[in-house]
Amino acid sequence: MGPLEVALILMITFLVLVLLRVPVSFALGLATIPILMFHERLTVTLLFTEMFKSFNSFILLAVPFFLLAANLMNAAGITDKLINFSKALIGFLPGGLGHVNIVVSMLFAGISGSSTADSAGIGALMIPAMKKEGYDTSMSVAVTACSSVMGVIIPPSVLMIIWGGVMSVSIGSLFLAGVIPGIIIGLSMMITMYFFAKRKGYPRSPFPTFKTFISSFANAIIALMTPIIIVGGIAGGWFTATEASMIAVLYSLFLGVVIYKTLDRKKLMEVMYESGRFASIALFAVGTASAFAFLMAFFKVPEAIVSQIAELNLGFTMTGLMIALSFLIIGMFIDAIPAIIILGTVLWPVADSVGIDAIHFAIIGVVSLAFGLVTPPYGLCLLITCALGGIKVVDALRNVVLLLIPMLLMLILIVIWPEMVLWLPSIFMQ
Amino acid sequence: MSNTHLPTIIHQISEIYFRFLKILLTALMILLLIPVFLQVVSRFVDFIPRYIWTEEIARFAFVWIIMIGATIAVRDGSHFNVDILPRVSGKVGRQINFFLLCAMLFFASIFLIGGFSFAKFGSSQHSEISGLPMLTLYIGWPIAGLSWILFLTEKIYDHFNIKKDM
Repeated sequence: MGPLEVALILMITFLVLVLLRVPVSFALGLATIPILMFHERLTVTLLFTEMFKSFNSFILLAVPFFLLAANLMNAAGITDKLINFSKALIGFLPGGLGHVNIVVSMLFAGISGSSTADSAGIGALMIPAMKKEGYDTSMSVAVTACSSVMGVIIPPSVLMIIWGGVMSVSIGSLFLAGVIPGIIIGLSMMITMYFFAKRKGYPRSPFPTFKTFISSFANAIIALMTPIIIVGGIAGGWFTATEASMIAVLYSLFLGVVIYKTLDRKKLMEVMYESGRFASIALFAVGTASAFAFLMAFFKVPEAIVSQIAELNLGFTMTGLMIALSFLIIGMFIDAIPAIIILGTVLWPVADSVGIDAIHFAIIGVVSLAFGLVTPPYGLCLLITCALGGIKVVDALRNVVLLLIPMLLMLILIVIWPEMVLWLPSIFMQ
Repeated sequence: MSNTHLPTIIHQISEIYFRFLKILLTALMILLLIPVFLQVVSRFVDFIPRYIWTEEIARFAFVWIIMIGATIAVRDGSHFNVDILPRVSGKVGRQINFFLLCAMLFFASIFLIGGFSFAKFGSSQHSEISGLPMLTLYIGWPIAGLSWILFLTEKIYDHFNIKKDM
């Protein structure tokens, strides 16, 4: 079997199964079976050893922990305090609550590593609040969904941990590299929100008194310390990503149990179970996707793609844009985590051949895949926020697209201007 | 055909096993925190020795969490799937649903049968640090396969015995 046949068998089996609603993680595993069974040098055991190798990783342990930390923060009502602080900070702009929604997502992103926890936690509080102030539901849902993509772009980030673990890139560098892209994406959303608010006459909150500002800040400051501890700790070399995730869990437990006293045992157990279940679903897909990617590498599919693309002579920018487009498209259909493993490993030689830095490549991938979280048919954050707002995905789509256009421009900027991504890691990670 | 859903023996077994797995998953999540916690603390506090086995215990618990979580998700149907084709109702819809269950059942039997030889292969190995037999981990694959078969059998039973109003 040559690379072309193998790639075709894998892809077609996978696509057919996925279209018939077989879960993505199962479809990835099932697609490897015909090749493993009928190739004389391979056995089905390879599927299990590849899965085991990917699970048996101390780095990936950070995934359930960061999810747990985010869910604990939500359960402990810390999100509430972040909202109050953002309101005092920026609520006086036209379209106040829209901006609050975006800023609180940014702050939450610095604590959690997951966009879904972000959209669920913030959406549950902000969508009803925005509706009450007269925002249309569709706008409230769209801005919650779109701003939650920052959850995986601003560190810590579950996607970057998986990227770093699978592709052997420094997670500390990835975290630092995500800061500026995350912030400019947030700012681009706020500009869009400003024009929306002007046109539709969205309300603004009163300018905060000095006293309310200080008290909301004091309430939020302990939670706001988290990103500094996590990113500072990893970048400073004090602890690894996994240990940082552990510290995030301990810190949010400390906030919920000791400081705010909002977590009881029953709630704790529930959060433990939910985080464990959700992490396993995501990580199970890492296992089968690794077996899928292993077969592609075994039959030298990436090399075949590189030689095809090399003939096109695309150059740095065009290759970067093509990579972003590939991740955007695959992100529309499957979960970001298997997408990293399959597409990341295939496209990396392509990126490398035109001189794209490993960290720049990772950020292009993570940002593009993050956008996939709000695009149908498989946009997890959009599905969550639509459910919270009680509307159909179609009804939120127009506003999502309007918010996404400037975000996509920022993605293009990230592709063509690598220094913006690489500047922070180059300062701190020497 | 009636819409009432009488619990049979297979539903009862599935339900009890499902609850057991939920408790096990919660317990393992808590267990997972302890070794990693010790590892972090031992870095900064001198009187706690720097265990190496903590990392291994954590990874062991982690592998089991993934396999159990993936099993739980088979029953409650929360594995991610892609909703791109329009939902078809009636006979074709039921046939697609049946095909989906069969595909998953096929994957489950591969896990059971193939996983069995995988586990046998692991019975001769021991982990590098704490010397735990690797069988304790590799056995997770055939057990997952068997558990999926149980839950999928329940679903296939329901497929033939419950007529949903489309």
